[in-house]
Order: sequence, then structure tokens, then C-alpha cells
Amino acid sequence: MLRMASSFPEEVLEHVFSFIYDDKDRNAISMVCKSWYEIERWCRRRIFVGNCYAVSPPMVIRRFPEVRSVELKGKPHFADFNLVPEGWGGYVYPWIAAMATAYPWLEEIRLKRMVVTDEALELIAKSFKNFKVLVLSSCEGFSTDGLAAIAANCRNLKELDLRESEVDDLSGHWLSHFPDSYTSLVSLNISCLGSEVSFSALERLVGRCPNLRTLRLNRAVPLDRLANILCRAPQLVELGTGTYSAELQPDVFSSLAGAFSGCKELRSLSGFWDAVPGYLPAIYPICPSLTSLNLSYATIQSTDLTKLVSQCQSLQRLWVLDYIEDIGLEALAAFCKDLRELRVFPSEPFAQEPNVSLTEQGLVSVSEGCPKLHSVLYFCRQMTNDALATIARNRPNMTRFRLCIIEPRAPDYITLQPLDDGFGAIVEHCKDLQRLSMAGLLTDRVFEHIGNHAKKLEMLSVAFAGDSDLGLHHVLSGCENLRKLEIRDCPFGDKALLVNAAKLETMRSLWMSSCSVSFGACKLLGQKIPRLNVEVMDERGPPGSRPESCPVEKLYIYRTVAGPRFDMPGFVWTMDEDSALRLS
Amino acid sequence: MGRRGSASSSSSLESSNYPALSSRSSLYQHNRDLSTDLRLGLSIATSSQGNPSTPSVSESDWPPIKPFLKETLAAEENECNSATFFVKVYMEGIPIGRKLDLLAHDGYHNLIRTLDHMFNTNYLLRAEMDGEHSEQYHVLTYEDKEGDWLMVGDVPWEMFLSSVRRLKITRADI
Repeated sequence: MLRMASSFPEEVLEHVFSFIYDDKDRNAISMVCKSWYEIERWCRRRIFVGNCYAVSPPMVIRRFPEVRSVELKGKPHFADFNLVPEGWGGYVYPWIAAMATAYPWLEEIRLKRMVVTDEALELIAKSFKNFKVLVLSSCEGFSTDGLAAIAANCRNLKELDLRESEVDDLSGHWLSHFPDSYTSLVSLNISCLGSEVSFSALERLVGRCPNLRTLRLNRAVPLDRLANILCRAPQLVELGTGTYSAELQPDVFSSLAGAFSGCKELRSLSGFWDAVPGYLPAIYPICPSLTSLNLSYATIQSTDLTKLVSQCQSLQRLWVLDYIEDIGLEALAAFCKDLRELRVFPSEPFAQEPNVSLTEQGLVSVSEGCPKLHSVLYFCRQMTNDALATIARNRPNMTRFRLCIIEPRAPDYITLQPLDDGFGAIVEHCKDLQRLSMAGLLTDRVFEHIGNHAKKLEMLSVAFAGDSDLGLHHVLSGCENLRKLEIRDCPFGDKALLVNAAKLETMRSLWMSSCSVSFGACKLLGQKIPRLNVEVMDERGPPGSRPESCPVEKLYIYRTVAGPRFDMPGFVWTMDEDSALRLS
Repeated sequence: MGRRGSASSSSSLESSNYPALSSRSSLYQHNRDLSTDLRLGLSIATSSQGNPSTPSVSESDWPPIKPFLKETLAAEENECNSATFFVKVYMEGIPIGRKLDLLAHDGYHNLIRTLDHMFNTNYLLRAEMDGEHSEQYHVLTYEDKEGDWLMVGDVPWEMFLSSVRRLKITRADI
């Protein structure tokens, strides 16, 4: 057998491996034998590091010397909701610095929730001659000066996507740094930027890039400039408008409608800030071919939303505010039979009383009418076990189910019972469920259901739920495929964690904030399991200055082969053997 | 919420064995207060502008929506709150007029009250009073888009807002 494995020349094996892209498959290949490990590591071109602290840049570079594409993720998911204090970490500079020398032919960098500086961007612009793709998703720490460096130097840039990043927006002038000779743009997403870019520079850029497929503009681009831009890029597949509001003028409307009609390939729309209903009909001609519609910033009411979605028979993804109401969701269920993903966001998240008529019924309608629906994010103010059970029975193909009820610990509003059975039905019927976020009044029982049934679950988010450690224990001991667990404001303490300590090494990460995990337990975990970083965040001061039984504010545990990190701010402590000694 | 069923008692993870954990009832109480805090916002609203029951948008961590959406929605709300429509108001016999933000009022009643304070007098929306008292009262009129002077109060408030150009207060006995 061994002889057979090595009887293929390396070149043949390498050629075969070049058809394998999936990380899991590549990892499996690398474990067959030493020679396959060697061949595979030299031809792996794409690296994904789900937690930038799980491994160090030198370790990655040592094993994979010929990488062309890197994807890194930094802060934990709850950073999106202000739960991770400023300065926690996730700095990309050390990675860029290491890769600048090791990977001169690097083409793609994709970062999520990382701190990126102008220095890092300048280094990227300088170091990688064939740089093609930069995606900065929910990143921060850089300014438009860094963008100017990228624009000016990356001759072969195809993609610049700043989705939802926080950019120090000094001016829109950076866009003008793309030289006149630059024509390779395929995708540009500047929707998160505040400043106006030069419209003429934008129009010229769009006009000279024949391969442009994706253009997501920022709010500062006024509606009356949109037609001009569209006319220069009729091949666009994805468009994000700027502000979608202007005084109703027939000539502006007709040029806009004409421009949209000319974009025969357009399949995805977003933007729509300040949308005025009067201009919506401009997109009606292309609605039937739209597959993706993001109206999360469009404060238009239910009647106009209903009219709009009713024309989008090919729609696969809809993101919308709860202005759509149950009635709009019923129309969605009736007309959009190809719908796969629905996200409904709250228009008044901080109001106590509902401002719109959006209830559990809307979601039930969509679950009934849309057979391909498998991904849901739904904010509402009321829910029942019956509704959840109906949704579960309707959609056993559900893979991502995230529910948020605005009021924490809200019970079934009809029976006043906890929503345990409803979510139990979800995990029981939806056997391929990968991601779950729960809401409402929940006891330990729901965790028992999850532990028993959610065997494919990879990510679970829990808030204001459970009664005791038993809840956490059910999840950690039952969910075989669990990779990410994030918990806030639950009465979970030490015991479940300590009993299931070994499980933590099989997961990417565990976040717990405002729970009841004691400092002593954190120290113990950190000491017992060397390949876990147990990070305690406490803005009250060193945890050692309080009794060991005192609960920590925030806890972030992740597996790592890189050991403890040293770039932590003053309010983060890693529990390992050394620090435990220092702190006691 | 009752006690858990006996099926789960085979595990030794009963919270009562672990004094480090607070008892369930006090934890519930604590969490109840926390949810009140969440409703009222995690920061103390010190400014008098803006809705006092809206928490400081950038600091709140519930419900879990991303910063960009939060900011956009907050901005929408503020825009609605900060739109203004100032019109000139003259009192007959007084050459210097005043300016009044009509959008800061939600109807005729509020408008009259403000004008009362501004000009320190009494008003009549319609000349309903009988003759003896008419010299004590003034009449509120407005100029519309077409230049005509009309009595304030005949049309619905929203319609009034869309046609009013300026206001004038005259004596009732014209």
C-alpha cells in the first residue's frame, strides 16, 4: 500500500491535488502519509484562519510556503454588538509584515473583525506585486489614506470591498488615486464610507473598467448621479445605490428608469438610504430578475414594500426592515417561491411598544410559502411555541435560524410558557441545523433538547436563558459538531465548564459574558489545558484583586497552538501557568 | 417555572450543590433589573435634546444589531425630530414680528398656546364670541400659497402646514 502511494510521481499528485479546494479535504489529504503531507503543503494556495490567535504567522508560513490567498478572522462575533471592549486585539499588522517577505506573490487578503492600520495597508500596497483582492469586513483602525495607497499602487487590483468597516474618513479624495491607466476593477464596495468621493472620478473609473460587476456606492452619492454611473456600466451584476431620495422630477425619474432597464445583468440591489416611494418604480423593470435585495436601510412602508417584493419572483435573498409587516411577508410567501434567505431587522429597536404590525405570523407565512427557505434572521416582539413548531415542521431544511425577541426573556405571549418546546421542535425537525440563535424565556429544558437533537449544530448564540449549569452541560456534552458558542447573561457557572473542559479543545471558541464563571475556574482551565487560551476581561481591575469565587465579567476561551498572546490591553489577562502564578 | 423533572437528576450538576452560584430566585431578580436597565439604556441620557427614552445608541448592546444599522436608524429618527418650518408672525400694530417653528407643534391647540405666550394675549380661532367681549380677543389668520388671508383652524393641521406662508394676529372687530 505504501509503495502504491509513493509510486505516483509528485507532479501527478500535485496536479490531482490542484482540484481540491476545500480545507477539510486538503487536511485529510495531508494526513495520508508523509509524502502526501509534503506535496500538499507546497501546493496549498488558500489559507483560512478562523481565529487569528489560534496560530502564529511564522507557523503558517513554515508549513505553507506558496500561499496566494489568506483569510483571517479576529474579534469574537459579539464584538459586533459592543460586547468586546475597545483595544481587545485582532491586529493584522504582524501577519502582513510576515507575509510581505514570505509571500511576495500573495494575491488575496480577506479580513473580518480585525484591526487594520494605514501602515498595514501601505505595506500591502508596496509588498505584493500581483495583489488582486482586498476584503475588509467589519474591520477598523484605518483611514482613507491607507485606501489611497492601495488605489495608487495595486495595478492588478480586482476587488476592493470595505463592507461594514469603520473607516476614518478624511476625505473622498482617495478614489482619485486610481491611475488613469487602471482598468481592472471587478468589484468595489465603499458603502460604509461617509465622505463624498469625486463623482467625476467615480464615473471615469466606472467607465474605463469593462469587467466591473459589483459596485456598492455610499450614501453620499446622490440619486441624480446614479443614472450616469449606471449608463457607464450596463454590465453590472450587483449594485448598491447611494441615497435613494430626491425631489420627484420626471426627467430624473425617466433617466433613472432608463438606466436601470439598460442593466440587463443586474441581479442584486442594495443601498436605498432614505428611499422615497416615488422613485421605486424605476427598478420595477429589473425586479423579475433580481435574486438579492437588501432594503435594510430603506425606511419605506408596508404598502410600497409589498408592491416591490411582489414583482421579484426570482428573489433568493431578502434583507428588509420590519416595516414590511406580516402583510408584506405574506406577499413574499406568495410570489417569491425561490426565496432561500430572509432577514428582518427592527426599525425601532429601542422602542418598548411595537411600531409596526410584524409578528410571528409573518415568519410562519414565509416558512409555509417558500420551500427553499433555509436561512432566517428575524427580529420581532412576540413569539409562540406553536409558531416555532409550525415553522420547524414546514422547513426541516432550515440550516440557519436566528430569532431575536426585542424584550429579553419574553415568554410565549399566549400561553405564557417558556419557548423551550418551540426551539425544541426546531432542533428536532431541522436535522441539518448549523447555526442557531435563541430568544425569549428559556429554561434548562431547551438546552436538553439542543444537546439531544442538534447534532450538526456548529454555532450557538444564547442570551438571558437557562436556569443552571445543567443547561450549559447539555450543550457541551451533546452537540458533537459545536465549534462556536457565545453566551451572555446566563446563570452558567464553573461546573459545566470544568466537567467539559476537554470539549473546549474541539471548538474554535467560547464566549461568556455576564455569567457566573469564577476567576478560580478560569485559572484552573488555563492551567489544566495548555492548548487553550483562557482570556479574562475585567474592567474592574486585575481579577487577582478579588476573591477567587468572584465571577469574571467576560471570558473568551479559544484553542490555539500559538500559546498565549502578548498584545493584550490592560483589562485582558490570559490564564496560563505563568500568569496564574503572577496573579495569585 | 417549576423544578426540572427527575430524568435529568442523574447528572450531579444541580446548582444547589454549588454555593458559588447565587440561588435561582435572587439571580432572576438581578436579571429582571438588568433587563430594565437595558430598556432604559446603559448610559445616562444627559442631553435634553432627543428622545430621553432612547439609550445612547453607540453604547447599548441590546438588541443585537450592528452599529451601521443602529446609526442609520437613529439618524432617521433624529432627522424626523429636527426638521423645522419657521414662519413669520406679526401682531397688528406691532412692526417687529416674531418667528415660530410650526413643526415643533403637533396641532392648533399647541400653536395657540405658544402664540399666547409669545404675544401675551388671548386668541380666538374663530370669531365665535358675541359682540360685548369681542374687543378683548384677537383673531389668528394666515396667508396661504396663493396670497389669500384665511382664518386659522378651518382645515386639518397637515393641510394647514402645507399651505401656510405666514401668520398674522388681528383684532376681532375688523
